[in-house]
Amino acid sequence: MMACMKEMMRHGPGRIYLISLLLSIIVFIVLLFLGVTEVTEAGEPIVLFGWMTMPLVIGVLFVIFWLIAYLIYFFFFWPYR
Amino acid sequence: MITAVVSLAVFGAIVVVMAAYGYRISAKTAEDYMLGGRTIGVVVMFFFVLFAVSSSWTFYGFPGLLYTQGPGYVMFIWGSVAGFAGLYMFLGPRLWALAKINRFLSPVEVLSERYQSKALRLILSLSILAFIVPYVGIQPLGVGAGFEALTGLPAAWGAIYTSVILIVLVLLGGMRIVAWVNIFLGTVYVTALLGSLVWIVVRLFPDGGLVQAASVLAERSPEMLATPGPTGEFTSLVMAGTFIVGLLAFSWPHIAIGCMTARDKSLFKWFPLLIFVFGGLFFYIIPFVWGSLVAPAAVPPGELAEMAAASGVEVQIEADRVVQTIITRSLPEWFSVFVLLGVIAAAVSTAAVQLMTSSVIVSRDVVQGLFRPDASDRQITTWARWAVVVIVLLSLFVSVLSRGAMALYLTDVSVPGFAQWAPALVGGLLWKRGTRQGAIAGTLAGVIYLVASLLIVVGGERILVVGHPVIPSLLINTIVYIVVSKLTPRPSEQIETQFFDEVDDYLKSEAR
Repeated sequence: MMACMKEMMRHGPGRIYLISLLLSIIVFIVLLFLGVTEVTEAGEPIVLFGWMTMPLVIGVLFVIFWLIAYLIYFFFFWPYR
Repeated sequence: MITAVVSLAVFGAIVVVMAAYGYRISAKTAEDYMLGGRTIGVVVMFFFVLFAVSSSWTFYGFPGLLYTQGPGYVMFIWGSVAGFAGLYMFLGPRLWALAKINRFLSPVEVLSERYQSKALRLILSLSILAFIVPYVGIQPLGVGAGFEALTGLPAAWGAIYTSVILIVLVLLGGMRIVAWVNIFLGTVYVTALLGSLVWIVVRLFPDGGLVQAASVLAERSPEMLATPGPTGEFTSLVMAGTFIVGLLAFSWPHIAIGCMTARDKSLFKWFPLLIFVFGGLFFYIIPFVWGSLVAPAAVPPGELAEMAAASGVEVQIEADRVVQTIITRSLPEWFSVFVLLGVIAAAVSTAAVQLMTSSVIVSRDVVQGLFRPDASDRQITTWARWAVVVIVLLSLFVSVLSRGAMALYLTDVSVPGFAQWAPALVGGLLWKRGTRQGAIAGTLAGVIYLVASLLIVVGGERILVVGHPVIPSLLINTIVYIVVSKLTPRPSEQIETQFFDEVDDYLKSEAR
């Protein structure tokens, strides 16, 4: 099982995988500009589970998304096994 | 002090014995010394790469900047995780296959053959060396401060101690033993980093742990828990730029060369999994929690400023060692010594790989590639070993001359410098139309702009820097590479066959 961008672009799931990763990067950056990591209007920082600050939360979600996309693509759709 | 000295002696002896063992079992060929005989499996590769990336910066610079600027700097980590995974998913397999089929020993050699250019070989070699060498020197110097605090001996002794371990390890062991020793170093490092965090949290925040630490911060300085941070530095634009800088981690030469040491292609299937799970969701969260939550809750910024004034250093330099300070102040001496060993392990694991990469480039690309093409295996291995000593001395000299905040040196100087070979690398592996002229023009334009943007300061401002040093320089590099490639004749059919068709066939075959 081998991964290269050229091969990925030549079949549907590969294209969906690459586009998903690209979109996740764009969404991540858009979220930063929307201010999700900043304090609320009341001046309070958003803290999940009492300690997870938003820069950590969105990063963890970003990594989990990449992990799931990677697992689905590499273990189910990679054409060159 | 005696505990510290004995522990340091034992630690150093373990590394030296491992290096000596590596020398005894090595095949004494250039391929074995420089690429571990291309036999590195997925587990060793993981420790090799993760701890090549995670230098003493993870212990000092990263938490230090989080402490002073708030949590926004973590965007560099999220970008880096994606960048490293991208290297092993997209570029690594092709780089590995090309090197294995053609017996290439360095990534610069791959590109010089792809573009059929000795001039490009020289340009890439010099630019990579220029940005990697100072970073090698930062590691021993970073250890020096902690060494001084624990043993009472001058910081220079810590730097000398680390440098000697480094030289012996790389000189004797070569790439395979550097990779293997990283398992030992990485284990010490993770145990020290995680162990110290858990112990400090239990001791200083007994009524809720991290939740209590966050509550202390929310009450005292809530701006520490959100962006843009206490100084307002990490705006959305800066965070996006920092994230993009992290994405460029795929172009770090000492990481890219790791792909060439792989035993087989199955490594590239499993490796990203380890990066996401162990790197992104576990390892890098430890220093983040240290620097953004625990350290500022344990030592208020005002107190740190007083400590900096008393020591006669800048606040950022004092912040870089805040983790060590808290450990030394709150935990038993023996554990502080263990943490220092962890920091030394972190420094050596990174610097050793950087040193190996630099010596391969000096020996294979500069000396053999340009001046002595008929050199024997034994000769280029000897040159590589001599290069190790010279590079360590040179890097220490350069680092002493230009000391500054560790975190910013990595993200503002080294990473933009490493990124300047990225267009030639990506284009060379994935774009058949990329030409020699495009690669040379793009790389030169990017490097010249980057150096100019770092050096030209008007009224205290770097006027050529737009957002981040890497952004304009890499943009210019990429545009020039594409435009000049389009305007010049396409590479020959022979190059297309050797660097694309043969690689595709090789990767698709079942038996690799």
